[in-house]
Amino acid sequence: MLIKDVVCPFCGCLCDDLDVEVENGRIIRVDNACTLGSKTMVGDDRLKGPIRRDGKGWVETTYDAAIEEAAQILLDADRPLLYGWSSTHGEAQSIGVHLAELLGGVVDNTSTVCHGPSILAIQEVGHPGCTLGQVKNRADLIIYWGCNPIDAHPRHMSRYTTYATGFFVRDAHRGRKVIVVDTRRNETADVATEFVQIEPGGDYAVLSALRAIVRGRGDVVPPSVSGVPKEQLVRIAEMCKNAKFGAIFFGLGLTMTAGKNKNVRNAIELTDELNRHTKFIISPMRGHWNVYGTNEVFTWITGYPYAVDFSRGIAFYNPGETTAVDILRRGECDACLVVASDPAAHFPKACVEHLARIPVIQIDPHPNATTHICRLQIPGSVAGIDAAGTAYRMDGVPIRMKAVIETGVPNDTEILQKLYNRVREGTRE
Amino acid sequence: MKVIMNTGRTIPQGESVERKHSPEYESAASVCFIHPVDMMVLGIEDGAHIRLSGPDSRVVLTARASEMVEQGSVFVPLGSYSNHVVSGETHCTGMPDFKSTMVEIIPTEDPVLSVAELMESLGGVRYAH
Amino acid sequence: MTELLIRNACVFDPLNGIRGDVMDIAIRDGRIVESVKNDADVIDASGFLTLPGGIDSHSHVCGTKVNFGRYMSPEDMRAGRTARRGKMHVTSGYYVPTTYGNSYRYSTMGYTTVLEGAMAPLEARHTHEEFNATPHQDMLANTLFDGNWSIMEAVHAHDVKRAAAIVAWTLSSVRGFAIKLTNPGGTEAWGWGEDLTGIRDPVPNFNVTPAEIITTMISANELLHLPHSVHLHCNNLGKPGNYATTLETFGLVPDLNKNRQTLYATHVQFHAYGGSTWRDICSKADEITKSVNAKPQIVMDMGQIMFGRTMTMTADGPMEFNLYCLHHNKWSNHDVELETGSGIIPVLYSKKSLVNCVMWAIGLELALLTKNPYQCLLATDNPNGAPFVKYPEIIGLLMSKRYRDEECSTLNNGFEQRTSISSLDREMNWNEIAIITRAGQAKALGLAAQGKGHLAPGAEADLAIYPIRCDDVDPATEYRKVVEGFQKTRFTIKRGRVVARDGDVIVEGANATFWVNPTVPDEHNVANDPDFVKKFEEYYTVRMSNYPVQDVYLPRGRCIKTEADI
Repeated sequence: MLIKDVVCPFCGCLCDDLDVEVENGRIIRVDNACTLGSKTMVGDDRLKGPIRRDGKGWVETTYDAAIEEAAQILLDADRPLLYGWSSTHGEAQSIGVHLAELLGGVVDNTSTVCHGPSILAIQEVGHPGCTLGQVKNRADLIIYWGCNPIDAHPRHMSRYTTYATGFFVRDAHRGRKVIVVDTRRNETADVATEFVQIEPGGDYAVLSALRAIVRGRGDVVPPSVSGVPKEQLVRIAEMCKNAKFGAIFFGLGLTMTAGKNKNVRNAIELTDELNRHTKFIISPMRGHWNVYGTNEVFTWITGYPYAVDFSRGIAFYNPGETTAVDILRRGECDACLVVASDPAAHFPKACVEHLARIPVIQIDPHPNATTHICRLQIPGSVAGIDAAGTAYRMDGVPIRMKAVIETGVPNDTEILQKLYNRVREGTRE
Repeated sequence: MKVIMNTGRTIPQGESVERKHSPEYESAASVCFIHPVDMMVLGIEDGAHIRLSGPDSRVVLTARASEMVEQGSVFVPLGSYSNHVVSGETHCTGMPDFKSTMVEIIPTEDPVLSVAELMESLGGVRYAH
Repeated sequence: MTELLIRNACVFDPLNGIRGDVMDIAIRDGRIVESVKNDADVIDASGFLTLPGGIDSHSHVCGTKVNFGRYMSPEDMRAGRTARRGKMHVTSGYYVPTTYGNSYRYSTMGYTTVLEGAMAPLEARHTHEEFNATPHQDMLANTLFDGNWSIMEAVHAHDVKRAAAIVAWTLSSVRGFAIKLTNPGGTEAWGWGEDLTGIRDPVPNFNVTPAEIITTMISANELLHLPHSVHLHCNNLGKPGNYATTLETFGLVPDLNKNRQTLYATHVQFHAYGGSTWRDICSKADEITKSVNAKPQIVMDMGQIMFGRTMTMTADGPMEFNLYCLHHNKWSNHDVELETGSGIIPVLYSKKSLVNCVMWAIGLELALLTKNPYQCLLATDNPNGAPFVKYPEIIGLLMSKRYRDEECSTLNNGFEQRTSISSLDREMNWNEIAIITRAGQAKALGLAAQGKGHLAPGAEADLAIYPIRCDDVDPATEYRKVVEGFQKTRFTIKRGRVVARDGDVIVEGANATFWVNPTVPDEHNVANDPDFVKKFEEYYTVRMSNYPVQDVYLPRGRCIKTEADI
């Protein structure tokens, strides 16, 4: 059976044009997806049921027993951390936030090690952006700064930018220029009109130099800025000012290098400046298919997009203090619920060591690095494969994930709702 | 040799990211891309093992030559291996120095650990899927 | 079956001609009935002012741009936070509260129905998710069409039926309630960083004018028999001299509907400026109200500003960018492909600013100079003019000349020459206040027929009992009591259930979302038109089959079906 217009649960592109062939309750073929999406949907390898650690080994357990054990762990904790959320649907994220509220714990999502700094920058200077279709239909200049879409968002260029045909850009090849800015000549640079190579840590200075040039103060810019010759900077600034519609997409090259949120702030302010000359937008390349969803859900419930601490009875937000990496590094939490993410793989060693010391419950269908660290893992169904639910694309557009097969595995919303109800009973006891 | 370690996503890492116990993931995530000239200075061939040492931890990776990497820096896909040497310090931003950790590289004969072995070394209990 | 009897309520129910009668109200299963049995629960209203539940006809509380406003403003989140308590979740935010914050605060003030001011169809799912998290008010969504490509094509082809068919498909797909136009045509121009300067300016590339968009959509609206009229945020918002655009726009509006207005002009304060620069800006509320007083086909809302910090957020992208250039505050922008735009920026309305004082006066003038209170409703374009928690103060100002004079004496000296506020003696009475905060909205939105905004048997049992004894309070002098009284109900009742009492929300909510489903004949259904489908799939970045909002997002949807005249 062929199911069309399926939504891919991998990266922030949230492509919704997949054609999925299903036979005997299994996905046997996926068309239109990139390799990352295809591999996610076909040959999906999961835990068969909940597992718990028993001494030095592992045993199987039931969903009800696992949920009961998880509830007890959370109820016993003084400062539980509820982390992850980006690879599950919004309905589950919502329960997660309320669970943290009930427990007086901390809830954080994967933005914390991804685009958290972008959020910090937006909180300082705002976000002049748009939906991806605006870029597809209008943009004649695309800038990829500190990101590598060919590897991390493979269909970004064909669906939304470089190769996409738009209403006002009928000939993508001739109609668009692409500038790639990075510290190394990555794969995306090979298809760019112009490549700008920056010394590691040099993004902030280059952005400042561009801002000066755009404002007509090129005189203050030295002959070379972080390895970039001034002539190239002047040329780039001209391309920007002469564009009819420019779009900057940026990634971890800005958020993770020295300066972090200040790099992003500078890029946003450059965009603001360019808006005085022409139309310009800037947008982050969000990694997970529903990480923006966690920001949206967290925000409309608590007011803050990540790193929310309920221990005072209010929603409290202080990145650096209430962020997961810092809480773990300081050894501050005494239990952790991990949902739809893999901190043992993506957090620094010091954090993983602390996770190994405390009781960790993981709700995730796949055995991963965190599996070896946790006490209990409960597999739920996968949104986009055997669970439906809401996701938010990297530009904020909300799309509903489809369940293309039925496996009878409970979804994250059901598991978390049961956990929530059990914890609620427990807080009354 | 002291270098800056840059980490990030790659296609092979991304394709296998939901199967972290698989040989594909382990080989995709435990690779270290080094400029050919730097490899010559280190005296190693493509596929040799190297030890990366960070502030208070070390990990063994497989070296791969790549001209896309600048001299004086290396690229390791994001994951358990690279994060083994990234510090938990975030400078109050919540974000560790994933793309700007200074590491020391030396050739080694030691084996590359599996993800499960790495986790065990941190206090975990291996789950065999 | 649950029965409730409210005794000794001093009722103002303008739609049923009740003005201050002390009476009992009987409620069964969420509706007003003639009488109930002796064992019904009883609430003694003690002679307090009892009104139908408040209805806000234009408020930005749910959706993409509102959430943008929240997460870019942690300083505001801290300012308005409350702890978890009883049934109430934590809340954050003062001028852009979280969804529970909005819901609890509206409920405390006696509001039970809110029309979200702007929803982009592509992002409707987000609005509906937030509706479900605003659990104590029934919600409705103004659906944006101002920059809609297929609409502009239909307008260009002078094809009203086509426009109506597109509206019908879109509203039913995304579960919208009404047609919203924000700076029509201007939001498309903003896709290129441009704006329009008048209603006869052609939209670049589409070659239609705002005037044409407005008149076509008005006709389409009436062909579809929608409960509400076209809801318009005029072109040139905020620009000195823009009153001329507003009057020109009003001049376009025919009288097509005998039950309600043909055009709802929103936050008209922002569109009532004379002069030509910030230096000589003055109030033209007199001209605007002269026009509206002669045109029963137009209803407006005040768009009152109140002094203090707040956040501006509208689909009017270019206007928000201009504010950024003026104030250099943090600015966000979010254009939505093929549909509309938006911009967000915090502002401070200051008593020291002559311009802000003139703006403050204009909103009040509009209300006081409009003869028929049904034609000028109370709103602040929340939060653009002020957060809705300021409504009680506005009520106080409208009921008391003394209060207005005392406020005027604290403002910038020069402003009185620019407005007529000091010369206006009118003081609104309780009946008029009831009209401009609920009865008028119910009529304008076409919700009276749904049982909202009035208390006759059959109506929904949404009520607000305010701690004000009308005979004991002289609103002209005791305005403090008026303000405090409207800030916190003794009881807010929704569908026959007490949801709030003396400032506390005491139950978990289960609100409904009202939406319209205008049915058109199959041959006009754009979903069957290959050209429409082809363009959709080519230019949008979501698939047409993934665009409509699924049933699951409206657990308690209330669909209003209409039959189109095409």
